[in-house]
Amino acid sequence: MHAKFSPEELAFQEEVRGFMRDNFTPELAARIHHPKTFRDASIEWQKLLDGKGWAANGWPVKHGGTGWSATQKYIYTTELAAAGAPDVVPMGIKMVAPVLYSYGSEEQKARFLPITKSSDIWWCQGYSEPGAGSDLAALQTRAVRDGDDYIIDGTKIWTTFAQYADWIFCLVRTDNTGKPQQGISFLLIDMKTPGITVSPIISVDDEHHLNEVNFENVRVPVANRIGEENQGWTYAKALLTYERTALSGVGYCKRKLTNIRQLANQVSASGTRLIDDSDFRARLADVEMEVMALEFLELRVLSAIDSGGAPGMESSLLKLKGTEMQQAVQSLQWDVAAGFGGISPDADDELWESEGNRARREYMFGRACTIFGGSNEVQRNIIAKFALGLSAR
Amino acid sequence: MDFSLTEEQVMLKDSVTKFLADNYAPEQREAIVKNEAGYSAAHWSTFSELGWLTIPFSEADGGFGGNVADVSAVMEEFGKVLVVEPYWSSIVLAGQLIARCTNQALKSRLMPQVISGETHYSFAWLEAQSCFSLSYVSTSAVKEGDSYRLSGEKKLVLNAGADHFIIAARTAGDVADEAGISLFVVDAAHPTLEKETVRLMDGQLACNIQFKDLVLGQDDMLIAEGEAYPLIAEVVDEALVALCAEAVGAMTYLYKATADYANTRKQFGVAIGSFQALQHRMVDMFMATEQCRSLLVRAQCAILDDSAERSQDVAVLKAMVGKYGRKVAEEAVQMHGGMGVTNEMPIGHYLKRLMMIDMYFGGSDVHRRRFSDMRYL
Repeated sequence: MHAKFSPEELAFQEEVRGFMRDNFTPELAARIHHPKTFRDASIEWQKLLDGKGWAANGWPVKHGGTGWSATQKYIYTTELAAAGAPDVVPMGIKMVAPVLYSYGSEEQKARFLPITKSSDIWWCQGYSEPGAGSDLAALQTRAVRDGDDYIIDGTKIWTTFAQYADWIFCLVRTDNTGKPQQGISFLLIDMKTPGITVSPIISVDDEHHLNEVNFENVRVPVANRIGEENQGWTYAKALLTYERTALSGVGYCKRKLTNIRQLANQVSASGTRLIDDSDFRARLADVEMEVMALEFLELRVLSAIDSGGAPGMESSLLKLKGTEMQQAVQSLQWDVAAGFGGISPDADDELWESEGNRARREYMFGRACTIFGGSNEVQRNIIAKFALGLSAR
Repeated sequence: MDFSLTEEQVMLKDSVTKFLADNYAPEQREAIVKNEAGYSAAHWSTFSELGWLTIPFSEADGGFGGNVADVSAVMEEFGKVLVVEPYWSSIVLAGQLIARCTNQALKSRLMPQVISGETHYSFAWLEAQSCFSLSYVSTSAVKEGDSYRLSGEKKLVLNAGADHFIIAARTAGDVADEAGISLFVVDAAHPTLEKETVRLMDGQLACNIQFKDLVLGQDDMLIAEGEAYPLIAEVVDEALVALCAEAVGAMTYLYKATADYANTRKQFGVAIGSFQALQHRMVDMFMATEQCRSLLVRAQCAILDDSAERSQDVAVLKAMVGKYGRKVAEEAVQMHGGMGVTNEMPIGHYLKRLMMIDMYFGGSDVHRRRFSDMRYL
């Protein structure tokens, strides 16, 4: 029983720290954090990571992955967050790529994996629909076979960064006769195909991340289908599991808490510090304690993976508790920064970089994290069934 | 990084689980609690025969050479069935004060009795008005030549039947100073010592003791005069980790027992476990338990890695176990409905034990404040 890193792991930690120091400059950070420059700056950052061989670190080695142990992945994620650097935009490298290398044809792999890894293609995810949110299997976007093509009609919603995307990976209905899960297929669709319309949805942070994507008589080659027809649910489910384990956000929480402590330590004009206020202190301590526990919950899962075991239901707890803690931290950050004012979203660049604006943006954006990737209510249903053996009515 | 149990720990856990499965069913436990000593002397002998009492002591002292992780592995199993034998107070708490003391003559005399389980020691530290501060010691020990004259009162000393008490007394300094505290070993049957036995809500027998002009010698001191605080703090930190392991065991029992009950209890024609409102609350019980288990691992590692943050990690563990232990038990009672509020059902006994665990050495708020004071300077 010990939590120390080996000398090799410590050396790796230094290497990651050095890379972050040299490459994630304040200038690049500012561009990534501004909506006007976000897209290009993100691609620039991901290309820097790819140059180091780290962008697709979770992939199998033969496709350009690193072969890192779970501990190394933890060190990498932690150092990334400590530097304030974002992970890669997940839709390509983390979401569609595992489906591609697990279930795609050789031709699909050769065509898409290299450009996904090098961030020369921007992917978006076409899963949710107006009538299919938590009940994803209720999706109704139709794909009707017509020779070597499918004709797609329907609407996808909450599609993050569809406005930047070159391609979308979609779940579509190819059969309506059996159980809802059985007639779903997994398609890759070029966003430039005629008949696709992207309409912005402005979220509560007053920004444009989300979109509605309409398909009207969109012609997609059958060759762009992943795996078998009507088996898309199986492929997507494997992906969702992958998505969930990546969602605890401990590193983010720790970085934010450091920032919150620094702000709360500042002496106000009246000579007092927020950190000395007993109510605030108790609230901050409550959040810190949960994050300290979450950190070891994640390490327990990783340690189990490293010693060859399969992670148990603790990994579903990671998404659940992790997102709750992200929101708790965002609430605290807002309370600490409230003194700096609730900056309006069209503030000039100087105010944009302020603590107040950062707190507002993250708090508002963070409302989504307990909803996406399977809402926390759905997660609780899953845990009730598989960890506690409770059955639904 | 490695959190897996060693082969020895797995074997140890198995042997504990097996014994408890045969000897610690709820009705067997009830009989044990009701007897005069508050625990089973026969079980204590078996613990001794099976070598469990030797676990945390070094091989040089005649022990098994185990550490906080070994002790916690045992304590977690104890927590699942609410073992009442004074393992924690005698072996983990008082036993370690003796094992780590610097008075070699006294140590070599006491050690064999502790390890064999023949003689019970208990740490008498808590005072009224101390607010669970370890350094608040108003009990005085006035030096007179080669001897000391002790006067004071100690509250809720565990294991009322202990043969000896280890008393924290002040030889110098102000009432809450860390410097100036000394530790004395005294025979429980000493004529100057008055003892009042009380039964705690979890069924254990504790005692309040008081003494005036109790005369002890330098030979009875565990460590140099006035220098006991660091020893006390170190031993208590480790003991609290073991105590929290017991709590995690109890919490594990509770969320599992509640899910099992919800799967069998039928109302409105269906198992109540099929109601989503209850399912989500049971998931939160499970999550609270796993958060506590994670802090338990964290605190064990901090101690074994000799981390500079070990006291912070222990304080956080004790604070969260106190809060969530009670919460999980309260939820278990609620979801057992009418049966949950009966003494016939084991659930309520776990609530009582977890409330006592929260109280020992200060509750959740005390340890959150302790953490805050260390972290927010």
